[in-house]
Amino acid sequence: MARPEARLKELKTAELRHEVGARSDLVVKVNRRSERRIIPYGEEFLFEKLPVGTRVIYPPPPLDPLADPDQAIRYALLHPENQDPLFAQLSPNMRVTIAIDDISLPLPQMRRPDIRERLLNQVLQTLADYGVDDVHLVIATSLHRRMTEAEIRRVVGERAFKQYWPDRLYNFDAENRAELAMLGKTDHGEEVWLSRRAVESDLLIYLNINLVPMDGGHKSVAVGLAPYQSLRHHHNVGTLRDSHSYMDPTRSALHRSSDRMGKLIHESVNIFQIETAVNTRMYGGMMDFLHKNEDHFTDWDRTRLRGFQWTMRNMSNEMRRTVLHNYAAPYGMIGVWAGDTETVHQKALARVFQQYAVPVKGQADILIVGVPYICPYNVNSIMNPVLVQCTGLGYLFNMYRNKPLVREGGTMIICHPLRDEFHPEHHPSYIEFFHRCLAETTDAVELEKNFEREFARNPTYIHMYRYGNAYHGVHPFYMWYWGEPARQHVGRVIAAGCEQPEVAARLGWEAADTLDEAIAMATSELGRSAEITYLHLPPLVIADVE
Amino acid sequence: MSVSNHRKASNGHAPKASRPQKRRAAFYDLDGTLVDLNLVHAAVFTLANVGEWSGRVSYLLGFAARIPRLYVAEQRDRRLLNTVLFEAFKGVSRDRLFSLGEEYCDRILAAHLFPRAVELLEANRAAGIEPVLVTGSPDFIVAPLARHLGIADFAANRFVFSRGRATGRLAEPVMAGDEKAVWCSDYAAQHNIDLADCWGYADSHYDTAFLAALGHPVAVNPDRRLRAAALSRQWPVIHFEQAADSGQRDDFDSDQHLTDKDINHDSERSTRGSDGAA
Repeated sequence: MARPEARLKELKTAELRHEVGARSDLVVKVNRRSERRIIPYGEEFLFEKLPVGTRVIYPPPPLDPLADPDQAIRYALLHPENQDPLFAQLSPNMRVTIAIDDISLPLPQMRRPDIRERLLNQVLQTLADYGVDDVHLVIATSLHRRMTEAEIRRVVGERAFKQYWPDRLYNFDAENRAELAMLGKTDHGEEVWLSRRAVESDLLIYLNINLVPMDGGHKSVAVGLAPYQSLRHHHNVGTLRDSHSYMDPTRSALHRSSDRMGKLIHESVNIFQIETAVNTRMYGGMMDFLHKNEDHFTDWDRTRLRGFQWTMRNMSNEMRRTVLHNYAAPYGMIGVWAGDTETVHQKALARVFQQYAVPVKGQADILIVGVPYICPYNVNSIMNPVLVQCTGLGYLFNMYRNKPLVREGGTMIICHPLRDEFHPEHHPSYIEFFHRCLAETTDAVELEKNFEREFARNPTYIHMYRYGNAYHGVHPFYMWYWGEPARQHVGRVIAAGCEQPEVAARLGWEAADTLDEAIAMATSELGRSAEITYLHLPPLVIADVE
Repeated sequence: MSVSNHRKASNGHAPKASRPQKRRAAFYDLDGTLVDLNLVHAAVFTLANVGEWSGRVSYLLGFAARIPRLYVAEQRDRRLLNTVLFEAFKGVSRDRLFSLGEEYCDRILAAHLFPRAVELLEANRAAGIEPVLVTGSPDFIVAPLARHLGIADFAANRFVFSRGRATGRLAEPVMAGDEKAVWCSDYAAQHNIDLADCWGYADSHYDTAFLAALGHPVAVNPDRRLRAAALSRQWPVIHFEQAADSGQRDDFDSDQHLTDKDINHDSERSTRGSDGAA
């Protein structure tokens, strides 16, 4: 039986089949006759003229999805990497835990059936066929917020939900001492804690979605089912400063740390890892123009863009947010692998880079990015200023391998309205972090030293994390540390289209009313010959900078 | 002041003058915040149990006659509500009230405490944040509840008594609205506490001033208007329920939450990177 994806073409950048639009080149120079460019701007999209000579980097078009994802999953379960097939590892009296990636992936949420539902249905059927009934399904939230009942139902599907919710399908609780077990320390002194249920299981099955190369591998279990005691060893300023970049696991201290932890976990836990990769088909149907090179826009594309902008502008904030977060992306599965964590992850990584990587020559003086309405930590919620910082400096800056897209000391222009808005039930500790801690200092080391422990042990935040739907008290610190490599690297950050300059100032950024003004501010220092690069989103792209 | 039990009085000695550690307090409203009952329930229970049957009927009828005024007062002013509500107690003996307060606390109130609220109160206490009750409920009900929860200090409404019987008037200050904030401020000054370090938990929009006076206000099961205030002022919002939360398994042991002892803050953790390489 051949792998279902064996028929997929071995793709080269220039030969990619284009599902949406036709692109001959993924790195484009703007000239005088070039069309304006779409730039994500919170819950809206800008359509802006960029200076002549600006380099625009487009994401590769979506790879063809697997024709029959269910068949591919069946194949992966029957032909795992460096492990026996799933069915051969089962016996009737064994205890099995299935851990599932949480709502932070993929972004936006995918159309039903979610990949996790497809995986679960087959895994649960296999377990049932072999008489395994001591099965728990744990949402691997780590310090993320608990998923709501409706969100879990949507991800796991009706069948699993009806059978397991709520007694055997639940969110991981990183603050329940009885639910945690310490496995030991790595040779670097990192304490490894894990869900007790997972540790005491005869088999732990992890269901993963790789949206970007940062995901998956040992990080799935070592982070997803771990509490603060473990996470603080790699989610800290020092480790993140030593990660170049998060999207390049070979050069990321974060990944090296979680790999060490993962290896220790593997010594005592039998893990059957299932990893999947999705293509970049983030928008389809009436929204597919967002994937196009604007130079190839038709009148129909422009009409749709104007219509979309008009609609978004004329909605209330709340309604706009609801509409956007209810949108489901037509992602297609482009690979599924099962078995040994490291082997599986290497294969998944190769496919993910095949989808995302774009070769780019040289760094820019000025990097323009647009921060969209969503990031992994505000699904069905508000994109607050700390998350804008995390998305801009944490994620978008790190969308590179080899070297950052912007040179050291260069300028980053981040397009976002930057409003002082927070979700009081999802991000309570963010509010205090922003208004109290950042008012005192933006130095990540100082913040870590003076405030992290207080927030991590704050009873109200812990309570809201355990019983409400709040991110853990320490989470805003991690979001701030996430931007640390960028803060160390760039000389200046300008928020373009900033509606509240005091918010930008609190983040340590400068504010500009418009993108033109931001570019003028940047070039006034760097000169008119400054190289400008715009990282075009959506969907996502990783620049292999030569 | 409407303080029935100050720490200084309870432990019999004054706090040390030059204590270096910052004191912190958490101020809790009672009705709707720690318990899922309200003031009217306590009033009806008390009036339905005073004296002989004839007396009970008379008190309850008197209370029923006040319902329209209570409704109007509830819409306009919490202080007015308290004043109108407690007028119905005129003539009840002090002994009977305190005895009924004990009974109400033991039989009703304790069973209606939100389990998660008590858990949070205890977690705060373990973290060095001392609990204080600030409520418009009468002191004969609040005192036994404070004892039940191990809370030394509280502010509650007090009746004015004449010859051992309630006059139907409340002693100043009436614990409602802004008075709660004033009381917290006085309490903080007396105990050398900075209100900016204190937490406050309340459920009603009448408590907006009380919450706003504190550094860490939290809206608990907020009514519509407090929820709007919380959203605009960016206050955290908590929901307590009597039943176990959905999605939280019953076998979770609430006493088993992690403590600082579980976290080895002295272990290897450096800003130079977990690899020790950089």
